[in-house]
Amino acid sequence: MKNFVVIMAILFVSLAHTVVQIDLNTASLEEIKSLPISDEQAEDVYYYRYYIDFFSSIYDLRNIESIDQETLLRLKPLIKISHYTDLDETAQRRDEIAYLIERLGSSEGFQEGISDVWEDYLTSSRNINNLTFSEILNLPNTSPLDAAAVMTRIAAGDSISSFRDLRQSQGISYYGASNIRHYVHYQEQDQPQDLYMDYQFKLVDNGYPEDAREMLRESMIRTDSDEQPRIKNKSYWGYFGMENDRISVLNKFRLRYLKDWKAGMMFHSNLGERTLFNSNFDNFIDNGKYYLGYEKQFDLLGQNFIKVYAGHYRATFGEGLVMENTDFWSPRSTGYGFNKRITGIIGDLSRTQEYALRGIAMDWKRNNFNAVFFVSSDKKDAVVYDSNQDGDIGDDDALLSYITLTRRFTNHELESAETFFNNYDNNLNTVGIAPRLDAFEETIIGGHLEYSPLIGTHLGLTAYEATYDRDFIVPEIDELKALLIPDDEYAAEKWKITSNEISALYSTKSIKNDSTVYDRNYRRVYGFDWRTVLGNTSFQGEYAELEVDGKIFKLGDDPKALIISSYTQFENLYLISMYRDYDLDFDNPYARTFSESERYDDTVFESLTYALNNTLLTDMYLNAGQSSAEKGIYFETRYQFHNKITLTRAYLDVWERKSDSRRGIRFEAKLEFRPLHQLRLRPRYKYQLKRAEDDQDRNRSQTDEFEMSFLVYLSNFDKINFGYVYAQVLQPPYLSILSDPAQPGGSDMAQAQTLTHGNMIYVDYTHNFNSNLKVNGNFSFWKCHGASIWDFEDVELDFEQTDRGYKYWFALHSRIANNIFFSIKFKYKEFITRDLEFRLFNEIPEEGEYYFPRVENKETSLRLQLDWKF
Amino acid sequence: MRRYKLILIMLIIIGNLFGYSVMDRIAGNYTGNLDPRSAAMGSAAASGGNRFFDSLINPANLSFLPGTLGVQLNTTVMVTSENRSLPMYNSFDAYIDDATYVSNSNYYPDISLGAYYKKSMQDIQIAAGLSFYPYLSFDSNYDEQVRNNANSDYNNYPPIIARNSLEGDGTVYAYDLAVAVSYREFISLGLEIAKLSGETKLKRKINWSDQAFDMTSEGELSDTLNTLNRDFDGLKFTIGARTKINSRLGVGFAYTPKIEFDLKGKADGTDLDEAVYIYYARFDSLQNLQISDSLTFADFNSPARLRSGFSWEPRNIMRTYLNCDFEYVWWSDANKIFADVMNYYIGVEHRFSNHLPLRIGFNYQTSYSVEWDSGIAFAQKITEPTFTLGTGFTFMDRFEFDFSLSYCNRKYETLDLFQDSFYDYEDLWANYYYLNLEDRGWENPDTVKENFYKFIAAVNYNW
Repeated sequence: MKNFVVIMAILFVSLAHTVVQIDLNTASLEEIKSLPISDEQAEDVYYYRYYIDFFSSIYDLRNIESIDQETLLRLKPLIKISHYTDLDETAQRRDEIAYLIERLGSSEGFQEGISDVWEDYLTSSRNINNLTFSEILNLPNTSPLDAAAVMTRIAAGDSISSFRDLRQSQGISYYGASNIRHYVHYQEQDQPQDLYMDYQFKLVDNGYPEDAREMLRESMIRTDSDEQPRIKNKSYWGYFGMENDRISVLNKFRLRYLKDWKAGMMFHSNLGERTLFNSNFDNFIDNGKYYLGYEKQFDLLGQNFIKVYAGHYRATFGEGLVMENTDFWSPRSTGYGFNKRITGIIGDLSRTQEYALRGIAMDWKRNNFNAVFFVSSDKKDAVVYDSNQDGDIGDDDALLSYITLTRRFTNHELESAETFFNNYDNNLNTVGIAPRLDAFEETIIGGHLEYSPLIGTHLGLTAYEATYDRDFIVPEIDELKALLIPDDEYAAEKWKITSNEISALYSTKSIKNDSTVYDRNYRRVYGFDWRTVLGNTSFQGEYAELEVDGKIFKLGDDPKALIISSYTQFENLYLISMYRDYDLDFDNPYARTFSESERYDDTVFESLTYALNNTLLTDMYLNAGQSSAEKGIYFETRYQFHNKITLTRAYLDVWERKSDSRRGIRFEAKLEFRPLHQLRLRPRYKYQLKRAEDDQDRNRSQTDEFEMSFLVYLSNFDKINFGYVYAQVLQPPYLSILSDPAQPGGSDMAQAQTLTHGNMIYVDYTHNFNSNLKVNGNFSFWKCHGASIWDFEDVELDFEQTDRGYKYWFALHSRIANNIFFSIKFKYKEFITRDLEFRLFNEIPEEGEYYFPRVENKETSLRLQLDWKF
Repeated sequence: MRRYKLILIMLIIIGNLFGYSVMDRIAGNYTGNLDPRSAAMGSAAASGGNRFFDSLINPANLSFLPGTLGVQLNTTVMVTSENRSLPMYNSFDAYIDDATYVSNSNYYPDISLGAYYKKSMQDIQIAAGLSFYPYLSFDSNYDEQVRNNANSDYNNYPPIIARNSLEGDGTVYAYDLAVAVSYREFISLGLEIAKLSGETKLKRKINWSDQAFDMTSEGELSDTLNTLNRDFDGLKFTIGARTKINSRLGVGFAYTPKIEFDLKGKADGTDLDEAVYIYYARFDSLQNLQISDSLTFADFNSPARLRSGFSWEPRNIMRTYLNCDFEYVWWSDANKIFADVMNYYIGVEHRFSNHLPLRIGFNYQTSYSVEWDSGIAFAQKITEPTFTLGTGFTFMDRFEFDFSLSYCNRKYETLDLFQDSFYDYEDLWANYYYLNLEDRGWENPDTVKENFYKFIAAVNYNW
């Protein structure tokens, strides 16, 4: 009996321990209901798992309101938690890199389209041991030395097995390795998913930028009377009722099958333009972007890599001197760090319209050899003028230049506006020059050959020929002046020497002294680029010529351009040294290489909108993508000389503009001092001197800008940043507005230099509710007196040049699900403009004149972005 | 006569989607969504609506409501500001900006009430609801002072010559019955029938000041009063469907046919149904006005709308709801001068661990204003992006309080409401010689900037 009792006791204890525990991460609702809890509690548990998260421990049950401690203790022996997730490998990968995708998804402008490539690398990483030199170099924030360090190991028969292993590659920087690791894996692995799709919707309600607004509002009507008609519709702004234009919408869809097939389409409707909803098929074909691409790596007598793209593609080679097709210009585009170029061919779904390439491109890499061939045919917008002087701007007239328009009015719209302006009573300004949409057909055939005898060393040759179905003819100088500026008594003063940048534009038909120098239908640009890595320094450069004299193989006889640079890398320091020299008449519309100033800066296109025969020509400056003709040297460094003090970035540029030999100096340094991990002090100083050699010149100016910010990291990655900016500009006085305040307009007072200065204070705050929801915002107040201050706003850039004002904005970034990102930004800005300030305080209204003190300068803007990746 | 035409021409269409604007004083202000939860989520509720008043967007939402009986009370306050500017030119006679010459700010409260009952019969659920709410509001106010240009040099106040005003009053209310039938909470079909009825009054006044009478000879000036009194009567039908494809994803559709109102009333004592011949026009591709239609009597209708949307409840560390709607509006069916438009609505609700919801949303709608040029009317498209925000809390388990704030601004050009030539009396002006009291046409239109802040608070009680 005693034995029986003992056996039964052991059996009972064993049975008690073998009660089947319910796994809360896999149990059905019925199974959960079988636990000793109420039906409501069971449903709460089930819905928590279904809608909130899987359980990582039994204590997560306490996150459910209806489960108290007592219930938890009761359930504890009856349940278990297995490690479980319903995320597939791709989703988990996305989960890990969500913050990087969010950052890429919001990049705009110059980097637009490039971020798609990086995102593809992020979602389906590559085996680092199979990458080519250019593939590593094309990753963000990697240097040629990082790429060479990796390739040298692989070429030696070694393989990289982990990040730690990668980090130990000789010559690789910590910064480079840290960036590379997001985009690569180390052992062969299957692609987790065959088909990837991305959809992006972006809606921006910002209105036109201030400079574009001024251009569109300038009058197109001029009479010989002192009093011009005061009517709003004498400008493009008024004629087209552009007050209502406020929304731009982007729809982008990308598709990727395995790593081989890629396709995409995009439609961007700018302010005032047709939306996708209102578009027909023809409009989509003309103004949308789309491509189909195939990329394949295979072994055939060596390592081969082939890319073929049909539709829209981006082509970038070397330093962007011969070919880099984007509408967007970026100052000091070094090709390193945040100004990275992706060389080669990629599909193009960016907002680039004018310099988009549409056709077929092929890229073939084999061992040390790389060949690219591309062909494109597309209609381009251009500035057309009445060259045959028949009183009409027609198809038989000549072209002056390519143009990227702020708003692409249809040709019907442009013609009707011109008719209205021309027929206005007593208007002396007959429109003889104007932009036209799809004015000519551009056919481009080009290619790039590259040979790499050593790792990190290559020699490349790039060339393209663009043929046109219409002539580009730049008239002789006097005719050109009359074409752009009304022929009045001030015309001679208005045409400045810097405007020679316009007369140096390329002509397909050159006529001098009434005789034809040459007559052709093409533009040919060719050049060669090189790079070599020696020790911890990379040397690279590109030389290009625009063929004018017809002798293609003779170097040095045509307009030319040269850029050479070196990049030296230490563990805690890098140094970029660069020299560039671009001829004034090197008019390559696809050149996007390093330059300090924007093309047409200070020409009549920039500074004389009010005097132009057609105000829309200011777009030549506002949206210029091409690098300016200049010569100069540039140094840039980053140096962490103490673990608490880092020179984040410092650069010095000394350059001369070719059109007028204007010399300039620009220096900027940013320092970060980190006395505690949570506290960063960031002083910044910028100095810029324009027209350094001539203190008599109207355009001489000296700018000094100081900024100090205090960044404090709070818990949970929250942060708050206080900043102060002081800027001052020393320049010659504008007599008309700065003379004796008692005598408006008088000029009877001695004047010295003018100092305008601006102040700005701001505070930024970022709050992370959790890993899926973040809010950031800013408040700024400035008093600028005409000085200008740039301000980064979340993912956009704002420019404050108004007299005084304030703004606030906040943005909410929500990760709705593993593959859906939603962000919305609201901004309010209120300011007084410089014009108005003078009007308010310097100008006394005359008797009888209307006087309106309340000019409303309030702007609100909204921005919405939705990214869906599946 | 011209003024009659202008007024009558605007009788035709319910022009606006957001509300309470002088621009829509005659066409009325569609009060739109009244539920604060979905209003905070950009008014996207074709599928994800779970409050009683979401049944006005899609009646099929009714059978997805919690409990068996519920009541919802909403209070809405619309705060509007309107700044009207005219072009300002610099000393080179170039247009540089617009100077505001009149500002108006108003607020308009409204209230709406509804209740529902839901009955389950095995797999079938039947729900019915009754509600009373403002459908179209004609409340609007505009006040403009016309001042003399004398004595303004030394910071003195220039005297008032006349006061111009527009006073709109009245609401078309909806008496609404909605029914819905659902099967196993999988699919629901709904029908809404609303009787629309109301009286509205509009006054347009120009009252000369005593000083103006003193400055002119007797009988030269007389006050102006135009009135427009109307009685509206109409029926609104909406049919809707909503289905849950799975426990995360739902879709919904709702269709509201064109509403044609019976309109009776008088404009300045003249019956509205007296024939008035009006030409309509639209811009062609060359921006020329082309006559496209004409009407011979006053008419009033609201265009047909088809709304479709989806709701999605993903797994998220905060309980998350995403609603997204697309709405197609047959404006061209209402009149040829309009083109059909697509409106977009999107909203998210995140619930934090303390159950406090954060709702945020956006919608983008397009409406029209009817403008007038050289004796013909044409349409001008106006875009209305709206940003929404909201939250709420539960009280004693059964009371749910929700709050929302919507912000919308719009900007458009229009003609001067009170043209200058009306005040062209030499005796009224100290510096008559300098003045040019002519009507401003489309060569120098007014620029109107409007801000709309709509605040909704609601309490729901379910059991």
